[in-house]
Amino acid sequence: MRGLTGIIVKKKITTKFGNNHMKKIFISLIAMLSLSGCMLLDSYLMTKYDPNEYKLITDVRAEAQTYKTQCEDAGLSKQNSIKLAYDSQLFALYSEHIPRNKDLIKASADLHLIAQGLADQYIKSDKVSTAFCKIKFDSVEKSAEKIQTVIGSKPR
Amino acid sequence: MSMEELQGQLAACFNIGDAASQQSAQTAYQYTDMLKSGQISKEEYTELMADIARTNEINKSVANVQLMEYMNTAINGLINLASMI
Repeated sequence: MRGLTGIIVKKKITTKFGNNHMKKIFISLIAMLSLSGCMLLDSYLMTKYDPNEYKLITDVRAEAQTYKTQCEDAGLSKQNSIKLAYDSQLFALYSEHIPRNKDLIKASADLHLIAQGLADQYIKSDKVSTAFCKIKFDSVEKSAEKIQTVIGSKPR
Repeated sequence: MSMEELQGQLAACFNIGDAASQQSAQTAYQYTDMLKSGQISKEEYTELMADIARTNEINKSVANVQLMEYMNTAINGLINLASMI
């Protein structure tokens, strides 16, 4: 009787979603069973999408994208680097106490260190090279884009 | 060991290891060239080399979150499917 029910259920699913869909579900199931229980639970309970977090990282990315084109102007770049360091700090602090968010807390802290490194050079010395300025802003922009992608893809 | 020898070791890493390690070696090589040609100062060079490690850490963290998101989608998909049966 139990076997017959199984066959009927399988037939219903196959009819509704097709064989390819069944295969994908089966593969997902196997992948999940091979992971530890903690990881499964972490995935299931992961932090939901937060529009404020997304806004903050988008600001950091947009600033870095704009500022890297202004590196020829040392005075302006000094101000820009300080602004970016502050905004990346704001993002890191905002992320810091979001529960079940350890990877993004780490990423935001690392991003802030990259941005702060440029501001520190401008504060220490008036002779910051244009190449260094461009590479730094570019690093922040690229990393911010990667972080933005995963924040935007969080479950809603 | 001279800077040229160390740079040679970096060049040897261009084709071994994973893609991230190869990229890091190429970036470090490029920064070393910039230092030698005077485009960046020693302090700037040190900071940029530290950034290579920071960027790698960010990439690892992002990859972890991507995996969690994938698993979350799969789990919720299976839960929804189970509720339909």
